Amino acid sequence: MAFQQVGPSGDLGEGEVQAYDVGGEEIAVARVGGTLYAFSDICTHRRCNLANGGEIDGTSIECECHGSVFSMETGAVLHAPATEPIATYPVRESQGQIEVDA
Amino acid sequence: MIRRQTFVIVGASLAGVTAAAILREEGFEGRVVLLGEEELLPYERPGLSKVYLRGEEPAESLTVRDADWFDDQDVELMRGVVAERLDATARTVTMADGESVEFEQALIATGSRNRPLEAPGVDLGNVFDLRTVADADRIRAAAAHGGPAVCVGMGFIGAEVAASLRQMDVDVTVVEIFETAIWKVLGRDAGDVMARIHADHGVKMRFNDTVDTFVGGAAVERVRTSLADDIPAAFVVVGIGVVPNGEIWPLSLTEDGGIPVDPTLQTEVPGIWAAGDVASHDHPAFGRLRVEHFDNAIKMGETAARNMLGAGLVHDDPHWFWSDQYDVQVQMVGVRPPDGTVVVRGSYEDRSFCAFSLDAAGVLRGATSIAWPRDVRRAIALVRQQVRPDPAKLADPGFDIRQFAEG
Repeated sequence: MAFQQVGPSGDLGEGEVQAYDVGGEEIAVARVGGTLYAFSDICTHRRCNLANGGEIDGTSIECECHGSVFSMETGAVLHAPATEPIATYPVRESQGQIEVDA
Repeated sequence: MIRRQTFVIVGASLAGVTAAAILREEGFEGRVVLLGEEELLPYERPGLSKVYLRGEEPAESLTVRDADWFDDQDVELMRGVVAERLDATARTVTMADGESVEFEQALIATGSRNRPLEAPGVDLGNVFDLRTVADADRIRAAAAHGGPAVCVGMGFIGAEVAASLRQMDVDVTVVEIFETAIWKVLGRDAGDVMARIHADHGVKMRFNDTVDTFVGGAAVERVRTSLADDIPAAFVVVGIGVVPNGEIWPLSLTEDGGIPVDPTLQTEVPGIWAAGDVASHDHPAFGRLRVEHFDNAIKMGETAARNMLGAGLVHDDPHWFWSDQYDVQVQMVGVRPPDGTVVVRGSYEDRSFCAFSLDAAGVLRGATSIAWPRDVRRAIALVRQQVRPDPAKLADPGFDIRQFAEG
């Protein structure tokens, strides 16, 4: 595995989350407090897209569909109904590009 | 030797399983006994009227926790047992087979059952209601033979079943006692939006009407209503609300059959609690009410478990739920005060809006959305905080309502 470019840094503002297709995987990247977090965009409860309407609170994200809350740092479930964690991925910025290792 | 404490949870429901999970998460080392009437592993019911009914997901996808989890967490799940009697003085729960369990603390999470429809012919074949996986299986099997179907009641269950049946290409007529779709919960304006959406999908709706008689031989053939000619019916799905399963509670129930609990979800007997549909809760913001939603079952299960361990939390969750019908999602938080005002962001006409409910004093008490979920999610914290928002800003889609939050 290696870091792949997913999009320009300028497209992801502070407090925002966006989904990217990384080699067929739907991966969300969020920028909070200047730090990037990359994680599976697919909620493990009913497969809703987290980046689509997911509400960020600190380093957690809440699924818009049914209210599951995940840690964007570790992928852990912080609130049901989901019971399975989401995957998280290394992410960095280089030369104006966001890169994810998925 | 120190005897392990026993906490009994009556009802292997979403509230019950959630409570068991939190007890272990918080380090409770005593016995956790979870009593369930169904033979299946505890499962989530929302999918029964939607993905599961349409055959898009298997039953296993609905389970709250898999079998290994109960072993790993040392939660003693007893399936297929009917808890018949709770003795609040002796602190025992007795099952229908005579076996009993002694407890130090108990949580009653027995949920609710479908309200029976009293009409001649209701016992005919192919007159169904929906609560269990087996019920959904029967409806799906009938739908596979084709319609026409009649849904009696257009609350959330009736509306979701009607939508699923249309998605399965079954002809559907709805008979609803009130004036529009989901009227009791959504009110006139949002209810009308849902009725228009259903009409566009081909659902025939008869409002302000009730069933007189189900007519047929062995199986139902026609539904006779008070206003209409007979409606042809290959099968019927009745969804006219629920009745709480409060009978196990030996002390007094509320008028609607719920088990009265204080703001912390404790009954009048210390160490005995209730959560979910069966709990008639003295809510700090809304007063006494009983809530029949999925998320409330989770949240009350969490609070009850923490309070069983001494946390002393007041349960102030403002109640949030969703309903998926066709490609639109309804979401709602809180309540709609009858004497209040409504501020709409978006438009009913466009079928995309969030309608905020303020009480007479201007306090935000709830929000209802169709195809506009974000602001309902954001309103949850605001309803809990009982903020008084500026109506002009509420109506402005460009204004982030999180700015109304205190602190």
